Amino acid sequence: MMYRLTEEGRRYMEHGLPEANLAKMLDKPMPIEDARHKTENFSIALAWAKKRGWVKLDAGRLVLVKKPGQVPEQEGLKMVSEGKKPSSQVLETLMKRRLVEEEREDAAKKAQRLVGREISGLTPELIKTGLWKQARLRPYNVSAVGRRIFPGKRQPYNQFLDMVRYKLVSMGFKEMTGPTIELEFWNFDALFQAQNHPSRDWTQTYSLKCPKHGRLPGQKLVSQVKAAHENGWKTGSTGWGYEWDSQKAARLVPRAHDTAISPRYLSGHSGRIEIPGKYFSLVRCFRPDVIDATHGVEFNQLGGFVIDESLNLGDLLGLLKEFIQEITGFSQVRFKPDYFPFTEPSIEVSAKHPEMGWMELAGAGIFREELTMPLGIEQPVIAWGFGIDRLAMMRLNISDIRELFSRNLEWLRNSRIMLK
Amino acid sequence: MPTIEVDYEDLLSLIGRHIPIDELRDKAVMYAKAEVDAIEGTMLKLDIKDANRPDLWSAEGVAREIAGRYGKPGLPRYSVARPSLEVMVDPKVRKVRPYTVCAVVRGLAISGHVLSQMIQLQEKVAETFGKKRREVAIGVYDFSKIKGPIRYTTVKPDGIRFVPLEFTEALTPRQILQQHPKGKEYRHLLDGCAEYPIFIDAAGEVLSMPPIINSNHTGKVTAETREVFIECSGFSMRFLVPALNVLVAALADRGGRIEGVRVVYPKGHGAGTMVTPDMGPKKIVARLDDINKILGLRLAPAQAVRMLEQARYSAKAKGSAIEALYPAYRQDIMHWRDVAEDAIISYGYENVEPVPPKLATTGSESKAEIFCRKVADAMAGMGLQEVLSYMLTSRDGLFRKMNAREEQAVEIENCMSANWSVFRTWLLPGLMEFLAGNKHVEYPQKVFEIGAAILPDQSQETGARDARKLAVAVSNTAVGYEDIASILTA
Repeated sequence: MMYRLTEEGRRYMEHGLPEANLAKMLDKPMPIEDARHKTENFSIALAWAKKRGWVKLDAGRLVLVKKPGQVPEQEGLKMVSEGKKPSSQVLETLMKRRLVEEEREDAAKKAQRLVGREISGLTPELIKTGLWKQARLRPYNVSAVGRRIFPGKRQPYNQFLDMVRYKLVSMGFKEMTGPTIELEFWNFDALFQAQNHPSRDWTQTYSLKCPKHGRLPGQKLVSQVKAAHENGWKTGSTGWGYEWDSQKAARLVPRAHDTAISPRYLSGHSGRIEIPGKYFSLVRCFRPDVIDATHGVEFNQLGGFVIDESLNLGDLLGLLKEFIQEITGFSQVRFKPDYFPFTEPSIEVSAKHPEMGWMELAGAGIFREELTMPLGIEQPVIAWGFGIDRLAMMRLNISDIRELFSRNLEWLRNSRIMLK
Repeated sequence: MPTIEVDYEDLLSLIGRHIPIDELRDKAVMYAKAEVDAIEGTMLKLDIKDANRPDLWSAEGVAREIAGRYGKPGLPRYSVARPSLEVMVDPKVRKVRPYTVCAVVRGLAISGHVLSQMIQLQEKVAETFGKKRREVAIGVYDFSKIKGPIRYTTVKPDGIRFVPLEFTEALTPRQILQQHPKGKEYRHLLDGCAEYPIFIDAAGEVLSMPPIINSNHTGKVTAETREVFIECSGFSMRFLVPALNVLVAALADRGGRIEGVRVVYPKGHGAGTMVTPDMGPKKIVARLDDINKILGLRLAPAQAVRMLEQARYSAKAKGSAIEALYPAYRQDIMHWRDVAEDAIISYGYENVEPVPPKLATTGSESKAEIFCRKVADAMAGMGLQEVLSYMLTSRDGLFRKMNAREEQAVEIENCMSANWSVFRTWLLPGLMEFLAGNKHVEYPQKVFEIGAAILPDQSQETGARDARKLAVAVSNTAVGYEDIASILTA
């Protein structure tokens, strides 16, 4: 930063500060009117003389109270005129009195200073003056590593889930949503899972302290589901053969599997579905378990159904093969008999991982008529469910399921953005 | 999904054919809906995936299913000899444990494997199918030590003494519930009962106190036992009858001869006098068109019949229908789809052509997901790192540690740890906990989380609603209001 004298500053430097000149005149008290006539910039002179404690007004006459000593501002003016910088206190005063101002170097001067040296970057002045043509630029060291910055990013597990969503949508599936806190009716009963089934036991399903009970859907639907459980209703089935309890069905549980959402849609409770239709859900589910590297109490599941008059087992197997190919990239799949209370026939789906060999990835089947008919559905419905967390772990290269919800900021910062 | 252990050689002898271990593991066990989890010497650990097929939970049952596809198709037939034993049911059991079904099996040669499979089957059936002995408790006894008729009645907690299995001292029922390991494990099933059920024979010998424990004298089956008495007790014939049939079929497969037992119920008990077990096959009629349509096949009637016979049915094509008889140990066949599945298992899933359905549908994401993703992208665009936390947390973490007023939240009753007992009502506590665990990591730390919080809400049919929330935290050696306000404003 450079400084220079203003017009006023130059005058004071040459002729002295006005308050100093005023003080010089007062070897004898002088009437104020006389002083005014004899002094240049009288008001400034008087103000500063008073401020410095040199003069006082006494019965219309100015009296010298203290003889001025060395005034640093005078010296400061001289220094600035010589291109030197006075103390910051003096400089501040001089600038406040507008006796000194910053030197606005013109662009040319600035640019000129940079020519001739090796510089690391262009400046606006060099460009404006055209002197950039003469500048000597130091080459970049492109082998040097940049300073570390932390870009904002989506959480990698979420990126994976979004990618799965995107793939399902591109296969023509519509996303279903449902409440995290769910009625046993939708989670179990409407799926034809008997009320005394071991998976509804307190060791395998969470129950809630509060709220405890919810509201069942319409009477017609409930009574049809009840009849299917007890005696098969009109489905041609014997049913489970026990007494169905609506109070139990009204109990609330944290959603235990993604399949709970399907009957909400099949029955029309969550809105009309299209037939033919393809629907999926990717949601958080909960189950009591001992938490370790491969088990959690809170996890995501991917599942859904396809509905159409023409559907059969071959369609289900074909759909599953396509899913596996799309979501995991594996092309070798295997189907084995399995069991679920809500499907018959039921399938276990495995795929061959290039290094890890065959791994079980999904369960699927055709919904039983004891399930679909009470919900008002006449067409076959093929259903499927993936343990998506396992696929996420493979994709993200992690071996402990808890790392999906990583608490490690360093790991999150180092995670890479998924490109496909 | 019960896991059972079977001996490879024993299994092969029951199947009646040699199958190399690789083929057994990779193909044959699939017919029993099983998977080989591990092989230890000659012992196979099998995971039976069907929780509704108690008949598959022993070597005999697995062998039956495999044998059907390996040269022994058709309905297994079990004859039941006329009863020589009566079991008299006392009206007093009605309020306590009302029903029992029983059988006698003679001519047994109880080798090591026969005994271990019998014990395993009994345990699995009572635990899984019998819902931890509540619906079905099973007793198997050395019949040579029993004098009929048997009475199924009740006693007062101190009203009798007998030596329970594996003990040496005679105890009262009350003492057994307090001192015997099985007493402690299952006594909750007798909660609220003024008297406890017992089986007692004509010589006054206590056979057992269901569902707790057998007596040591009669209730122990060893390699020397030649004939057994079996009883299943519980609350519903729907469970008891199949359980007994499963046990009896397994023993018959081992060469035992089934003899019926006359179970006599008093008037008004809810059941009449019956001879159990009834091992007669049951019938189901299915339309071949239905089966073919759902499987996507064009099985000719003779083919369908053959597929079912391999699944141990006896089947006949009658016009467009298939009349099928299935064994008494199957209680899972409710609807023609069950028949279709058995047929396709014989046919083999690997022989079905997988063709993806050609349905023109348009896909879409839920609006909530789309909105949240846009918000998340905007936050990332402001240089914030996304964090994902569990929805389950603790009251402590949610309120007390945040110095926030305690509020209503959805709570789990049977949680195993307080750390995962309450559903979050807001997201900031999760971020705070996250920051607390990253104090050693370079600052500034700018994080956000977007996701569902669960709010109790009586107006909802489920008493709660999902509320999507966004939380942001910026942490640095010097942060001020401007840091967070600028994000909010943006």
